[in-house]
Order: sequence, then C-alpha cells, then structure tokens
Amino acid sequence: MESHDTLQLVSLSPVPSWALVALSLAAVFGVGFACWGVRHEASRRRKWLMWSLRVLAGVCALFFLLEPGLRRLQVARVKNRVAVLVDRSGSMAFPVEPKAGSRNDAVADAIAKLSPEFQAMGDRYAFDVFGFDPELGAVTVEQLRAQPPLANRTDLFGALRAVKAGDSGGARKLAGVILFSDGADNADLASGLGERPRAMLEQLGVPVTTVAVGKGGLTDLSIDAVKVDDFAFVRNSISADVEVHGRGFKDQAVQVVLKREGAIVATKSTTFTSNDETQTVKFTFTPDQTGRFVYTVTVPTYPEEVVAENNTRSFALKVIRDRVRVLLVAGRPTWDERFLRGVLRQDANVELISFYILRNGSDDSGVPAGLEQQELSLIPFPRDEIFQKKIDTFDVIVVLNFGHEDSSISLAQYRRDIEHYVEQGGAFAYLGGDRSFGEAQATSMNPFERVLPVTTAGPGDFSPFIAKLTAAGQRHPITALAVGGTSSEAAWAAFPAIPGMNLTRARADATVLLAHPTTLVDGKPAPLLTIAEQGRGRVLAISTDASWYWAFPSHASGAPTRNYERFWSNAIRWLVRDPDLTTLSVTADPSSVEPGKPVGVVVVARLPDYQPAPGAKVVVELVDANDGRVVGTQTAEAGADGTLRIEFPPPPPGAYKVNARATKDEKPLGEGTDAVAVRAVGPELADARVNAPLLEAIAKATGGAFFDSVNFTLSDVPLREPPLVEVGRSRDEAVWDRWYWLTLLVVLLGLEWAVRRRFGYV
Amino acid sequence: MKHGGRWDVRTSGLRRLAWELQRRTSVEVLLEARPMSLDSPKLFEHPFLYLSSDGDFPSFSASEVENLRRYLTFGGFLFADANDGSDGAGFDAAVRRELGRVLPQTPLAALPLTHVIFKSFFLLDSAPGRFLNKTTVEACVLNKRAAVVYSQNDVLGALNRDEAGTWEYEPSPGGTRQRELATRLALNLAMYSLCLDYKDDAVHLPLIMNRRR
Repeated sequence: MESHDTLQLVSLSPVPSWALVALSLAAVFGVGFACWGVRHEASRRRKWLMWSLRVLAGVCALFFLLEPGLRRLQVARVKNRVAVLVDRSGSMAFPVEPKAGSRNDAVADAIAKLSPEFQAMGDRYAFDVFGFDPELGAVTVEQLRAQPPLANRTDLFGALRAVKAGDSGGARKLAGVILFSDGADNADLASGLGERPRAMLEQLGVPVTTVAVGKGGLTDLSIDAVKVDDFAFVRNSISADVEVHGRGFKDQAVQVVLKREGAIVATKSTTFTSNDETQTVKFTFTPDQTGRFVYTVTVPTYPEEVVAENNTRSFALKVIRDRVRVLLVAGRPTWDERFLRGVLRQDANVELISFYILRNGSDDSGVPAGLEQQELSLIPFPRDEIFQKKIDTFDVIVVLNFGHEDSSISLAQYRRDIEHYVEQGGAFAYLGGDRSFGEAQATSMNPFERVLPVTTAGPGDFSPFIAKLTAAGQRHPITALAVGGTSSEAAWAAFPAIPGMNLTRARADATVLLAHPTTLVDGKPAPLLTIAEQGRGRVLAISTDASWYWAFPSHASGAPTRNYERFWSNAIRWLVRDPDLTTLSVTADPSSVEPGKPVGVVVVARLPDYQPAPGAKVVVELVDANDGRVVGTQTAEAGADGTLRIEFPPPPPGAYKVNARATKDEKPLGEGTDAVAVRAVGPELADARVNAPLLEAIAKATGGAFFDSVNFTLSDVPLREPPLVEVGRSRDEAVWDRWYWLTLLVVLLGLEWAVRRRFGYV
Repeated sequence: MKHGGRWDVRTSGLRRLAWELQRRTSVEVLLEARPMSLDSPKLFEHPFLYLSSDGDFPSFSASEVENLRRYLTFGGFLFADANDGSDGAGFDAAVRRELGRVLPQTPLAALPLTHVIFKSFFLLDSAPGRFLNKTTVEACVLNKRAAVVYSQNDVLGALNRDEAGTWEYEPSPGGTRQRELATRLALNLAMYSLCLDYKDDAVHLPLIMNRRR
C-alpha cells in the first residue's frame, strides 16, 4: 500500500458553528439592507457599482469570519480483491465451437491474455483466480491447461456464495467477480434464475461479470430428461415424457426407442424444426408385471455429435398393484362362494368382480315367457367380454365349481385365453366341487388341466376329514396361519373336518401344501391345496368346495379366529406375487446409479416363519438385463437382523438385474430380484449447450457486465472502487491571516464609503 | 330351528321352498330340512336357519342366546317367519323379545324395498306371505349384512301343503298370485343368504334399474 499527500480546504475559526452561522446571516442581511437603500438610484451604473462593492466587502467579512486554511493529509488507497472464477465442470471440456479447442482451453488463454491488465491494475486490485468443481480452489493458467475439467456438477450459485463467504473479515474487500463458464448449471440454477436465487444474488453486494465460454453450432442429440412417476400400477397405463434436445438437427427426423431391459416397448419419431430445439416425446405404456424394472430411452448416435453418451437415459420404474382385482366366477351359488365372497368383500385391498350362474338352461324360473326381463334380476353372463377382452385387467381369476357339460355356461372355449393369461403373469385359482373336476366323474372333463397344478384322479371322496399340512405347507406363506410352522400346523389341525373332496393328483412340478390325512392317490396323500408356477403366472387349486368349513363352522366352538381370512389373504398375496410375501427381500440402493458410482444392494433374509435369518448365506449376482450376462457375484452373510448390504464396483452403463438367493444351514430361504439403472452420463455431460441467458441474468442481477465471448478488456468490467484511508498525521496551514486580505477588505469598505458619499448617500 | 314352542308347523313349506330352489335356480339343495336346536354342535354347518311358530314360544336359554349371537355374528342367516301373522302378541312378541336378547345393539328395522333382498333373483316390490299384513320385512343388519330377516306375513305358510298335497292355506288377499310372490320372496331370501349383496354389484345395477322403471 503506497501513501501520498492530499490537501483539504478547512475552516480554522475557533468560533462555534452556530455563531458562525449567525454572523454569516448578519453579513448577508447587511449586504441586502445596503442594496435595499440604493434601490431608487436612477443610474443603473451607480447602483450596480454600489451593490458590487457591498457584496465584495461582505464576502471579505465572511472570509475573515471563517478563517479558511489548508489541511495536508497523508493517505493511502486499500487494494481490493477481484475473484476470477473458472468453471471446472466436465462440460467445459466440450469444444467452443465445432472443430475448435475446448472451452477450458479458451478460458486459460483468456486469463493469460488478461494477465498484463491484472498487473496494470495491481495497485488497486488483487486478482485471485479460482476454479470450482464445485469446491473452490486456487488455480493457475498452467494448471488449467494441464488438468482437464472433470467435475460432474456445475453449481454457479454455490461458487459465488463461497467467494462471498471468503470476503468476510478480510482486510481486502471483494470488488467484483469475473465468472468464466458455459452456464450449464445443474444445481440451484438448473431451471434458470428464479426469484429467490435472484434476490440472493442481489444480496451478494458485488458486481458479478459473467463471460460465456463457448458458442452455439455444436451438433448434439441428447435426452435431457425423462419425466415419469417413480412407480406405476400394474396393468394401468403410465406416461413418460422424454425431452429430446437436438442441436444441428433441423428438419431431421429422429427415432426415439423405449426399451424395458432390452425388449422394445415402443418406438416414436420426432422432427426438429430448428437447430436448437427440445422436443417432448410422450410414451404411454402399460406394465404387465409387478416389480422394479429398468427402462431405457435411446436416440441414435451420429458421428458428428459432441457427446455420444447422452443419447441414452435409463430410469427405474417400480410397478405396484393398486387394489388386487379379483374376478370370482361361480358355477352356482354355494356356501363356499358365499363365505369367499364375504372375505374378499371385506378386504380393503381387493376389488371384487363376480359373476355367478344363478340359473341353468334347464331351470324353470316360473316366470311366464316374455316376462323374464320384468320379473327376474338375471343378466347375461358376458363371457366373451370377460375372458377375451378384459381378462388382462384382472390380477386373479377364481373359478369356483364351474361345470363344463352345459355349453351355454361352460368356460371351455376360453381355455386358451386363460392359459395365455396365466403364462403372461396372471394368477388363476381353481376351486373344487361337484362340477369342477370331471363333473364328479372318474374321467377328467376339465379343460384347464394344462395350467392347473392338479388333474382329476377319480370320483370324489365324501368321508369327512381334517386337512393335514404337508412338509412344504409347514413353511409356505399361504398356509402360515400363525408364527412358526408348529403353530400353523396346530391352527390347521384345529379347523373342523370338511365333508369331502375331489380326488386329484398333483402335477410333477406342483407343490402340495394341504392333503388328505389318509386317502392316497398314486401312493401319496390326496392333495387338497396345491400350487404351481405356470409360465410367468401362478396357479392354485383347492380340491373341495367345502373350504367354507374353515370359516363359519370353525366358529362353533366359541373361539373366534380369523384363520380363514388369513388363509385367503395369504393366498391372494402369493398369487399376485406380493413383494412382502417373500422370505428374501432384495433392493437396489439406489435404484438409479450415476456413472462411476458403485451399485449398492440391500438384502433382507427371513426364515420360513418370517423371522430374521441371522447368518444366512446370501449370494448376489449383478446381471446385465439385456443379455443375461453375469457382471459380478458376491457372497456374504446376513447380520443379526437378517440384513446385509453389499456393493458392486461401478459397472458399465446399462440396465441390470440384481438376483439374490439365500441359504441357512444348507436349506434354501428363497430368491429375490430387483433392478438397477446405471446411467451413461451424469447430468453434467448430458447437456452440451451454452446457457448464455443464465449468465447474462446473473450479471444483470448483480450489476456486473456480461460478455458473450472471452475477448473483453478489464476496463469494461465494473468493479467497486477501493476506499482511501488516512495513514499519517495531518497539518493545518492558515491562509486567512495574510496582510493583503485585510488591505483588500479596508480598501473595499473605504471605496464603498467614498462612492456613497460622492453619490449623496452618506 | 327347534325351540320350546310349535317349531315345525311349516315343515312342508320348507320342503316346498327347497324344491322350488332346485326347480327354478342353479342352487343344489337337500329337499329335507334339518331340524336343529340352538345348542346343536352341527348348527354351524347350516348357515340358513328358519325360525317360526304359530304362537308364543319359551325364552331361549342363556347358552342358546350366546350361540345364536355367535351364529349370526360370524355369517349365519336367520329367517324368522310369523306363522300366526301376529303383531304385538304371539310369535311377534316372542321373537322380538328373543332377538332383543340376542342382538341388543341391533334392533329389527324395516328394510326398504330397494334392498338387495328384493332383487336377489326376482324383482319384487312387496313382501307378501300367506298374509299381507306388512308391505316389507324387517331385518337386523350386522356389518351391512342382513343377518336376520323377519316377516309377519307367514311367508312359508303360502307354500305349506297338507298331507294330501293340497295347499294348506289360501293367501289373503291376493290368492294364487300372492302365493307365487311369497314363493319368490322365499327364494330371494335363500339366494340372498348365498350371494349376499351380489346383485348390488356395479355390473348389475344399470340393467336392474332399467327393468324397474
């Protein structure tokens, strides 16, 4: 800090200020009074002469009253700081314009070029150069050139706040900011300069001069955003708005493809009408399965594009069910139907649609011909509509004691529709009765045997029995009526005997959960409750129409239970693959991973009775969803609460399935799966544009200047002036106490007296 | 239902009801009704219970009251039928007294003719029996379900036949047409006990509303 002297004109009068003011007013009054006295003078020349002499005399009097002097001060100007901020995010590696150097190199060149000006203004300003990535750090031109920008985030507002925060308490005040950036903010200012950020920028109190680095004209096609809900309801349509940005693609049609884990869901085309335009492409699709899936939106990659990686964007979509939509069709009203209807109607999670055959073709309603419409409440059974048009809208189809001999009500003609429905992920429950399995005959007439887990094995057995849990039933969630296999077994044993059953035999790949305690079919206990996986769907068969004995008659003893309700709730949840009804829960955490980040997986292992499985051995595979290739495998043990978290090293971008299986004491605990999307590029590289309007808005909000290129001079940059401070002693020198000032006053007064006397006023 | 009074005066009416169910609907029935006391261990295997008499009957025991309450609460259906067409005396007084003990919180109340009982198979706009003392029936409703339906019109009296096979009573005042309507009401009650509010499902409503116009 260099000092110099400066002079100030000051009053050295010892008279108090109020007295000086009063005396000054008196002097002014005296001058005015004198002028007033000569107002009738005819000669203008004489009048002006007397007025002038009196005014000059008054000024001289005031001069002596104020006693003016000169104050000599030793002062210095404090040097202020100017922060030069350089964007170090990945997008600064993009070229300034096609076939040109990078934006980062352009900034390095510009700062090197400005260095002489920095030095020239060095007596007043200290220029500090910082890079932000987004952390603020000092950087030199050499470092800018040597280290490519790699940050995956641009936070302009954060950088400005950090600079301002560094201004507090320092001797050097911040005089201004010069910001070099492409403006591609993906933090607070990603959607522009809103009111709140604008107000906060105004409060910075320093002018921010912004320099847009980069020009238009780049060729790039990018998927800027995919706007879609986090979850969808199965078999309900959902829309995804894909924002495709085209630069340099005027009048070109671009194909946009939506895939689910490698399989094309939909393809659309969009045409750009200008060379810098965002088109929104809306995809409406209907997930047909519950679970989490990775969807990928892709546009073609052209050779001239700046960034190829932003042509793909993946997102994870969790598909859940709304209310479970159950179709219940009954061949006739029965107590089995009545109590099943009761339990399904009471379940808030179930939407029940039911059709019962109330009258067969051979029945005589007793209503005269022609009056049926007026006197009967019966409606036609809309079989075609249900089983051909709307079958996919149901989560579960329950067929209860439906006959197939009467063609007017038979469902045999919809066999293929139901088979297709199950194969594609539907759930099918088939309940027994006198009509279900071969019309109570030994030979099968059941048209659904291809999808059912059982086939007819003979005529019904009408001896009452208490159903017995099989080994599989003791650990299966459908038959888990209580905590623990033993308790469930006791609960099943406590049910009243049911009066009979259809004799069936289980398919080889089916699982029998309940069986007759004594009656055998093919040497095995006759199955009562049998389940199986069928294609992507699930099927269940109950070989009796007396399951209602587990409901109403079970209350006869006076010990009310909800075991019948619990059984059907379990069965419906298993049929629709309720994620909570698995012993192994697998969750990708998070479900969408930024490039270069590890893939986290949380596994919760439970025992068959749904208690935590501490120490369970869990094998987790990361599988490429497109080609089924195993990318990584990890094995670990669950903790005391049955929970385990593992991480896979960052895989290449794409859609992945996470498959886990667990064992405990060599016994399998189940399998689970989830999906994870690994993004090709983060938000930084997804956007190659130069956001000059944002930079201009920042400059305007703070009182700075905006330059659309790096070619500018420091003289055009608004900076706050550094303040002067007194650094040495001061000395006063009187200028009023000179003889000639007194002589002048005497001469003026004497001259005025002489003139007045001459003109006859004295 | 067996009780201390004359509980079996409509045995043939029940048989006729079963036969009509078999003839007119897809419901499979046993033609012979099973007499059952309230303390029978088999009671809960029969969700449809018919209670009637042509006069007063003794009070139920405490255990019978408790058993009937549980029966109704957990899904059983009781059709009470005043064979004497009484009002304030006889069977009417007795049944109201006993139902007041069984379901004290749920008194009998008249069912509107828009209730699903009047459209569960036949479309009806009245509730006749052998008599037409009341235009509708009363019910005790538990969880939106009519667990007890009570008629003062002796519904099964219109279906009862004597040993010679002839109608035992002539319905009054409607004669043969009233007998048919009483039969339809009895069938609707049976159908309601089996299907509950099935005919209130959204898929049925437009068609039924259109037919009722």
